[in-house]
Amino acid sequence: MSKDSKMRATINQKLTEMGERERLKELLRAKLTECGWRDQLKAHCKDVIKEKGLEHVTVEDLVVEITPKGRVLVPDSVKKELLQRIRAFLAQHAT
Amino acid sequence: MKMEDMSLSGLDNTKLEALAQDIYSDLVEDACLGLCFEVHRAVKQGYFFLDDTDQESMKDFEIVDQPGVDIFGQVYNQWKNKECVCPNCNRSIAASRFAPHLEKCLGMGRNSSRIANRRIASSNNMNNKSESDQEDNDDVNDNDWSYGSEKKKRKSDKVFLHSLKQHIPLVSFIAVEIHVLYVVFLSTCNCKGANR
Repeated sequence: MSKDSKMRATINQKLTEMGERERLKELLRAKLTECGWRDQLKAHCKDVIKEKGLEHVTVEDLVVEITPKGRVLVPDSVKKELLQRIRAFLAQHAT
Repeated sequence: MKMEDMSLSGLDNTKLEALAQDIYSDLVEDACLGLCFEVHRAVKQGYFFLDDTDQESMKDFEIVDQPGVDIFGQVYNQWKNKECVCPNCNRSIAASRFAPHLEKCLGMGRNSSRIANRRIASSNNMNNKSESDQEDNDDVNDNDWSYGSEKKKRKSDKVFLHSLKQHIPLVSFIAVEIHVLYVVFLSTCNCKGANR
């Protein structure tokens, strides 16, 4: 197990050091904005806020409400593309 | 070293796939958190609900999707075939040619001054040519200065070379004059010498 976790740590470190993680983040943000995911989630946020009250809403409230929905709402094409890129990176740098 | 090599190559596809999925869900969670922070800040700073207006105003600015109009509802090619009257020369010009025509007509803009200068230069040369004598025409046929580059010459170069050619008869005349003076000088010296 520890070998695996060491390996994972190495990979994650490489991902960050080579700037690939930042690039993937940017790519994901761009794709999600393009496909309307952000607007969908923002509309959901509005409902949550109206429910909890404008003054009393906390970051935690939002995170708890938004994150699971956000994960589900990612379109398949975006998910596939990102996974492809990650796999390509792993193939290049993990073996 | 060998142990580490083994661990790297021992990572089979399922583990790689699990790793990829983990990295992916990390990224998605990052994006969600980013959105939450943005929204929370907007709520606390009071600008979150700023883009909400009443339904009526929203309808006023809806995107228009009809043929022949742009998204604002304006007709965008109604001036294509119209004609305008130039205030300077009072001619009727097509709308798409109106701006360049005005440039030349009013004498403003980059190209109109260039064209005017060219015209002046060429008209100057035409005037000079009509004043030269018959014997100067021989020099005009001279190809010395323009060998091999006639077609590529720009008009300004042509003007320059042409004006140079006008000077050839003058130069040869001066040369002849100097020669004559020299001969006279020599003969007077000889005479003087002879007289002594």
